[in-house]
Amino acid sequence: MASNITAAPDHRPTFQEAAGELVSKVRAGSSASRLWLMIAAALALVGLVGVIGRIIDGYSDRSAWGYYAAMVSFLLSTAAAAPMVSIAPTLARASWVRPVTRVSQLFASVGVVTALMHIPLMFALPPLVEEGVRRRSIWFGAGAYTPHVWGTIAIFGLTFLGLALLWASSIPDLRAIAESGEGRRQRWAARLAMGFIGTDTQWKALRMRIGVLGSFYFLFLIFTHLVFSADFAMALVAGWKDAIFPMYHAMTGLQSGLASTIIAAYFIRRYGHLERYIELDQFWAMSKLLFATSLLWFYFFFSAFIVFWYGRSGPDQATNDLLVSGPFRWAFFATFLMSFVIPLFTLMFNPVRHSIRGPVIVSFIILGGMLLDRIRIYVAAWSTTGINDRYLREIPATRWPDIFDLMVILGTFGAAALAFILATRLIPAVSLWEIQYSRLLTRPARFIRGHALIIGKPD
Amino acid sequence: MVQPAQQIAAHHWGMTVDVDRCTGCQACVVACQAENNLPINLEEHFHQKRAFEWIRVERYWEGEFPNIKARFIPILCQHCENAPCEPVCPVYATYHNDQGMNVQVYNRCVGTRYCANGCPYQVRFFNYWEPVWPEALRNQLNPDVTVRSRGVMEKCSFCVQRIRRARIEAKRDGRAVADGEIQPACVQACPTNTLVFGDLNDPNSKVSKLRNGRRAYRLLNDALRTEPNVYYLARVDNDEAEVAHG
Amino acid sequence: MQQHRELSEQQINVQLLNGTLATPRWWKWAVLGLLIIVLAGFSTFGFMINKGLGVTGLNRPVFWGTLITTFVFWVGISHAGIMISAILRLTQAEWRRPVTRAAELLTVFSLITALSFPVIHAGRPWRIIYWILPYDFSRGIWPNVRSPLVWDPAAIGTYLTGSILFLYVALLPDLGNLRDRTVGWRNRLYSLLSLGWRGNSRQWRMQTTAGILLSALMLPIFVSVHSIVSWDFAVTPSVEGWHSTIFAPYFVIGAVHSGVSAVVTMMALMRWLWKWDNFIRPEHFDALARLLIVVGTAWFAFTLIELLYSFYTLEAQELAFRDMQIFQWPWAFLFIVFLITGFFIPVPAWLFKRVRNSIPWMFWTSISVNIGMWLERFLIIVPALSRKQPFVYTWGSYHPSLTEMMMIVWSLAFVGMNMLLFARFFPLIPLFEQKEAQAFSSRIQIGRASVPAVLREQEQE
Repeated sequence: MASNITAAPDHRPTFQEAAGELVSKVRAGSSASRLWLMIAAALALVGLVGVIGRIIDGYSDRSAWGYYAAMVSFLLSTAAAAPMVSIAPTLARASWVRPVTRVSQLFASVGVVTALMHIPLMFALPPLVEEGVRRRSIWFGAGAYTPHVWGTIAIFGLTFLGLALLWASSIPDLRAIAESGEGRRQRWAARLAMGFIGTDTQWKALRMRIGVLGSFYFLFLIFTHLVFSADFAMALVAGWKDAIFPMYHAMTGLQSGLASTIIAAYFIRRYGHLERYIELDQFWAMSKLLFATSLLWFYFFFSAFIVFWYGRSGPDQATNDLLVSGPFRWAFFATFLMSFVIPLFTLMFNPVRHSIRGPVIVSFIILGGMLLDRIRIYVAAWSTTGINDRYLREIPATRWPDIFDLMVILGTFGAAALAFILATRLIPAVSLWEIQYSRLLTRPARFIRGHALIIGKPD
Repeated sequence: MVQPAQQIAAHHWGMTVDVDRCTGCQACVVACQAENNLPINLEEHFHQKRAFEWIRVERYWEGEFPNIKARFIPILCQHCENAPCEPVCPVYATYHNDQGMNVQVYNRCVGTRYCANGCPYQVRFFNYWEPVWPEALRNQLNPDVTVRSRGVMEKCSFCVQRIRRARIEAKRDGRAVADGEIQPACVQACPTNTLVFGDLNDPNSKVSKLRNGRRAYRLLNDALRTEPNVYYLARVDNDEAEVAHG
Repeated sequence: MQQHRELSEQQINVQLLNGTLATPRWWKWAVLGLLIIVLAGFSTFGFMINKGLGVTGLNRPVFWGTLITTFVFWVGISHAGIMISAILRLTQAEWRRPVTRAAELLTVFSLITALSFPVIHAGRPWRIIYWILPYDFSRGIWPNVRSPLVWDPAAIGTYLTGSILFLYVALLPDLGNLRDRTVGWRNRLYSLLSLGWRGNSRQWRMQTTAGILLSALMLPIFVSVHSIVSWDFAVTPSVEGWHSTIFAPYFVIGAVHSGVSAVVTMMALMRWLWKWDNFIRPEHFDALARLLIVVGTAWFAFTLIELLYSFYTLEAQELAFRDMQIFQWPWAFLFIVFLITGFFIPVPAWLFKRVRNSIPWMFWTSISVNIGMWLERFLIIVPALSRKQPFVYTWGSYHPSLTEMMMIVWSLAFVGMNMLLFARFFPLIPLFEQKEAQAFSSRIQIGRASVPAVLREQEQE
């Protein structure tokens, strides 16, 4: 070992402190969180009314479902993508991610909302064969209801996988809760902990399970984005042939998933008083990724745009007209600003990244951009006519949201927040075992005169 | 020093090809060959797929023997308004002039062949070899047309040398160019008057009238939006049943 | 697993400068052999200029063939350097250290080789200057900035300039080292090149800052280069097989796949030729193979999506083109070879730890990837051109001529020879990175287990 490295005093919470504090956070349920819960529940109710209104309004007018489809896609691109924030760095053995793995995985609970919202939408999607004419789709000659089946399998499967991942990775914490006292919550936790007592084999199995579930979640996420974006957007527009679009959909989803995680981490840190666990380092690392994904937003958008713009054939022009310069150009330009330009010119500066407020504010902006982006894509796609033409001959007019749409938009946020907050009441929002693990594997040190961290890299 | 535009483009050249009249005799191909100094197409050039035919007559078979029909369609540079070959040339060797023509400047060409990839009609030709003529034919080369060297692209020019000459003569005489006065070599050689050339800006020209007719269409224009200046007039079959069949 | 052997700084100097301060016996013969091939390649180019491009197998409609394929191939290989040096530097992957120099070098030489292919391929190479130089000369015409072929030299030129800078900045400490160990003209050369490097803390800080800044600045260029190359194809609506929006990221990820594989090939060669077993260790191959599994799988997913959407419209000429590409002899054979060598042999093999840690296995699988990646570009470019539009009359085919084959061989020999020449004068493994890695490596004691660890410097809040 090089002699330049010397030990440094360790100010991190001890094992006992961490165990006590993180478990008690779940038990108590602060008053702030109760207030947030009420607000979220109220909004979710408004959304429910909106959904019912939408359904009573009927399925005959497909274009009325554009905003609804946009909101399902919005959830797929934020909450469903958020667990990736823990999966990818964990597979790459990054050590900064440990305190926020749980925050990102808790978003799996929102999957329930996504799955429920998907059910009415399924009825709005036209079958592949209408009046004897088969439209273009990635399913080619398959049965008329193939997209409905696969879309549902994808979204429900993703929700299931996400919950499984969340459960698998909280087992040690559930055991800790179970042993923290007597009560209903403790009994539940004991049941969910499945006899985990922390033997060597159990830990090995646990890590293996998290790795496998994480990889599967990633593959399923890509599959879901592919199926959903292809069936619920692209196939509804005649002549829109865009191989990068599913990847754009997934990629921008990762950006917004990161943004969601940053925002959730901020609120949990602030209102859960967990400043000693979720530190500046986590925000710093996540905002670097946020910066990278914001650049990729532009890259994936531009890859499609330039091919259409330069190609300027009939289908090319129609597609760009519809999605970029046409009825939703206000949404497009706002998205461009909020998802790319503003993140680029803020996050490129280290002082912004190396702060807590900076990434959080940018994350809010990015989520706004994402909402508008999904509106521009889905509302435009759902309001086109001539679905079986060679390409779009007539660009539809702008469709503005009606009262039900607005209620659905508000309700989606409410329901998502509700699911998330409820999950935090059962499972610690900061993973206790990850914190303990990182305390074992890292040591503060001095390198000559500078401050340093020694990070263990076990195989 | 940029010269102010001396005259507003009065002409917009175009052509109609009446597919119904074409007999596939190839006279246009030969005429073009002679007029525009195209290299001699030896048999090996066809085998190599490097033959030069600024205008070619494509032949398609329709139906099954014995109810089989040969369909001919002459294809030449479409002089697209929205030409895919133009923006991709790095050295501006091909560009759109103010008379609706897509022109090729041999001297600028470096031979990237990108324009040829961009052209959906396959009417651009590359000089893979230095063109050679037998001694006996050296004197038949048209002095008005550049002999292209190896390594450059070339294509139908609507016989731009004839257009130039007609305009100069008209200007000298102080009159406008009359309809039908300009005939590219292929138009001149066509025995069935399949090809008609003229000014699309002149509503009374023959070509304008033909292209406004019901039979007119443009190749690949619906999908690619190339806006060709060459219009095709659809074939009309006498036998209705067979039309439906084909 | 980590078979760290602590070496003293003296030992590092001696072992890593064994090809620079001494000449290995095989070196002369290898360079001579490659030189003969390179000269043969230049003669072939002269022959092409003299006779015209008729000596190639190109025709109408296949105006672009193996020369452009090889151009794309080398641009792809060039993505190795920045992937390894810049991205892994920014993500602080420790295992990058011994391969950074070689990867950057591969970038520089493969870019130079790539740049020569459009010149070889042009009909009139002697006029190439009108195309690539942004100047109007006496003609009064600037290059056409709307043409993707003008974006190409701009992007590749920028990438080349940046890569050379990047290489040079990382070379400075080692140049200072060499200067102190040589006499005569070499000493004067190294003195000049090392820019007065003395290794004081100010110089180190500037060198590190420059490295990080260049890494960050190079990343967008890295992405843009192959994207722009892909747009040469993708923006052309007339060729259905090319006009796909996925091309830019698809090409970039494919480039990383082939580039990183090329680095693996080179690492194996370096380990065998210069006997650098202490520096290029199985753990480095293991880490690169893990990276390659992710990259290779992502690339394969892009391939599948590209295929899926090529059938999406079910238009006649698109189907005819895919039919030829996938089912007709000899394209079907090439297609199967492409899938097997590009994905189905290497990626599943890398899932096994024994393969990842075996140098011969990694050598051959990485070569297999590059065979597949060359075929991928070939199968994109040629079949799409030969089945361009619904006019069956003009459909064609293509097979490369001997001349074109010779230029492919030339390109391999040219890059190899340049690498060997470079290795004679400069160390292929950065000495200072090696020493820094040792200074930063540490161990953590957990109970009775001792876990390898790295040191990360931290800003004090």
